[in-house]
Amino acid sequence: MTILKFAVLDLMRRPKKSGLIVFAIAISVALLSSLSIVSSSATSTILEVVSKTGHTLTVRPVITAGIDEADKSSLQNLTISDVIFGKYIPESAVQEIGRIYDKAILEGWERKGGLVSNPGIPITSLVPPTWAPRLYAKAVVDGREAIVTGIDISKEYFVRFWWTLSSGEWPENVNVDVKNVDPKIGAMYIMGHNGQVTVAKPKSRVDEQGKTIYNEGNHSYSSETSDDKLRDSAHGHGATDEYRDDAYLGGAYAAARGLKAGDTVMVASRQFRVMGVLDETNSADDYMVFIPLLTAQRLFHKEGYISMLSVRAMCPNCPVGDAMVELNRNITGITAVSQLDVAGLQFDFFNMLYRFLLAVVVATIAVGIFSIFNIVAGSLYARAREIGLLKAVGASRFQLFRIFLYEHLIIGIVAGLTGFAAGVGMAHIMNAFLGIGAVVRVEGIVLWHALALGIICSLLAIYYPAYKLSGIRITEIFRTQWEV
Amino acid sequence: MVSFIQTRALKKIYYLGDQRVEALKGVDLDIPSSDFVVFMGHSGSGKTTLVSTIGGLTKPTEGTVSIDGVDIWRLNDQELSVLRNRKIGFVFQSFSLLSTLNVLNNVVMPVIFNKNGRRDADISRERALSILESLDMKKKLESYPSELSGGEQRRVAIARALINNPEIILADEPTGELDIRTEQEVIDIFRMINTEYKKTIIVVSHSLTWLECAKTVVIMKDGLLYRDVADPIEALMGKVCKT
Repeated sequence: MTILKFAVLDLMRRPKKSGLIVFAIAISVALLSSLSIVSSSATSTILEVVSKTGHTLTVRPVITAGIDEADKSSLQNLTISDVIFGKYIPESAVQEIGRIYDKAILEGWERKGGLVSNPGIPITSLVPPTWAPRLYAKAVVDGREAIVTGIDISKEYFVRFWWTLSSGEWPENVNVDVKNVDPKIGAMYIMGHNGQVTVAKPKSRVDEQGKTIYNEGNHSYSSETSDDKLRDSAHGHGATDEYRDDAYLGGAYAAARGLKAGDTVMVASRQFRVMGVLDETNSADDYMVFIPLLTAQRLFHKEGYISMLSVRAMCPNCPVGDAMVELNRNITGITAVSQLDVAGLQFDFFNMLYRFLLAVVVATIAVGIFSIFNIVAGSLYARAREIGLLKAVGASRFQLFRIFLYEHLIIGIVAGLTGFAAGVGMAHIMNAFLGIGAVVRVEGIVLWHALALGIICSLLAIYYPAYKLSGIRITEIFRTQWEV
Repeated sequence: MVSFIQTRALKKIYYLGDQRVEALKGVDLDIPSSDFVVFMGHSGSGKTTLVSTIGGLTKPTEGTVSIDGVDIWRLNDQELSVLRNRKIGFVFQSFSLLSTLNVLNNVVMPVIFNKNGRRDADISRERALSILESLDMKKKLESYPSELSGGEQRRVAIARALINNPEIILADEPTGELDIRTEQEVIDIFRMINTEYKKTIIVVSHSLTWLECAKTVVIMKDGLLYRDVADPIEALMGKVCKT
């Protein structure tokens, strides 16, 4: 038998008391773990959305009382896909919006430190933005109400460059290169500010036989050599659309209805052919049925109107915030929102909420540790005679301390693991009930933190009583047996 | 010549609240090796304090305790722990066994605090089995203390006291709460340990049954020592002369 085995046996023979201490510590660990998980998940989600939307400006009609409610079914409150029904922007205003936008961007560049003609500002920074209009409508699709969105697919594709298809094909006019890309590879088209289209591929993928295939490096296609048609159709305000019966489906919608590319759907008594199903993006897009904008406008009698306009600036440092301010100041009836600004506000709000919750949790843990300390002290003092016996048979103070140390290391590890598991569960509950809307991700570091916290709590609680008891005079322990 | 166990001018003063209790009032004692000493006296006479001071459990207020020529109260905590582990085996009246360990583990438990305990684990196990067999406890190796009778618990405690092969066995009321028959069995075991293993036995007891096997009887009263009395029973009744 060793001191470690002695400690283990001692714990096992006291399952209730050991369990109580584990439970008390695990609660503290679970609270902090869940907060940490929710915090990092929410931050990641915000960053993910920002990385997707980038320098994107969303222009919507002003929301007033009586307007149909915004759909929040996706749990995403930071997205360019917030849906508003019943309020529209006339297409005739788009040109004015574009003019003010362009002017604000130029002025913004000047404020940043130079004129457009200044060689310090690359001319490629003035690549025209991509404008993607949408028309939202509630309509009966295959007998059930759904969100039907009219889009210009060629423009939409470039604004939402993260879109990939799980089945089907993009229309030919989007980009000749696009249809040659296997969606399973997860290739991503990035329109850089230098006018190049870059196909970014992951380093590896897994084929149908389960083999890992390593892709070659990224491929770049210069704007001159790839296709000028692409730029013509994707950039500027003059792109055209056709009156077609093609439809694309959001991933969640298609999954719920069991639809795939090649199927047909009935939208407001009109038949559409499903050309493709999008991969899920954790946004409202996942629940939508996309049809051509012109078709939608005619079908829902909204010719000349759109529900929103997404503008993707094609340069990383474009002063989109300036454009947002100018648009809101100069055009009544619309609201321009910069996704970066929204993200910033959300960060600020979430940080404030996080700090508040952290303070509450730390206070709770402080009270918890005090309770744990009391439980441990009570448990140890109840073992005073056992400790006296151990000293009598030759255990030194250090050896006694080692016994307590081992016992509470084990308790700390078990509490850390239990608290971590509970924390993961609590994180999901918090995420759902507080409406945070993050995609809950559990990073390995949280497990290590949980273990460390469990061990620290356990050792903090044991240190003082163990120190006192390991040094206690044996006759004090055996006073009832050893007469004076 | 220094005796195997020697105390000189040993005093112990306790404070219970404001009350000053002089448990030992200057005890001089010499115990030769392989002696069988029984300390007797009324409750509060100081016998347990004296024995616990000899055993390195209670630090005296004044005076010295030497074992085999070493002044044990000059040792530090670590050295004193080693002394208790190697040289002395304790048998207590109650709480003598750990409820969390079975019989075998209770017996070998002192070995884990021995510096060479891990290296000598197998030897210790064999030794424990041998001692338990000699005490007729081999069939209860896996039992826990709560499953043992009072006499069996005492035997296990004695086996544990012997595991490190100490030179001294200190026993405080080892037959307390036992019936007469079991008490006699325990006394016989102590007699066997003294005669066969040549251990120095120091027992604190109220029971007169111990007198039949004691080589030395020490009577204590009010923190002072009375010894070599002609009639211990009379001495215990209070008719003693101070030596």
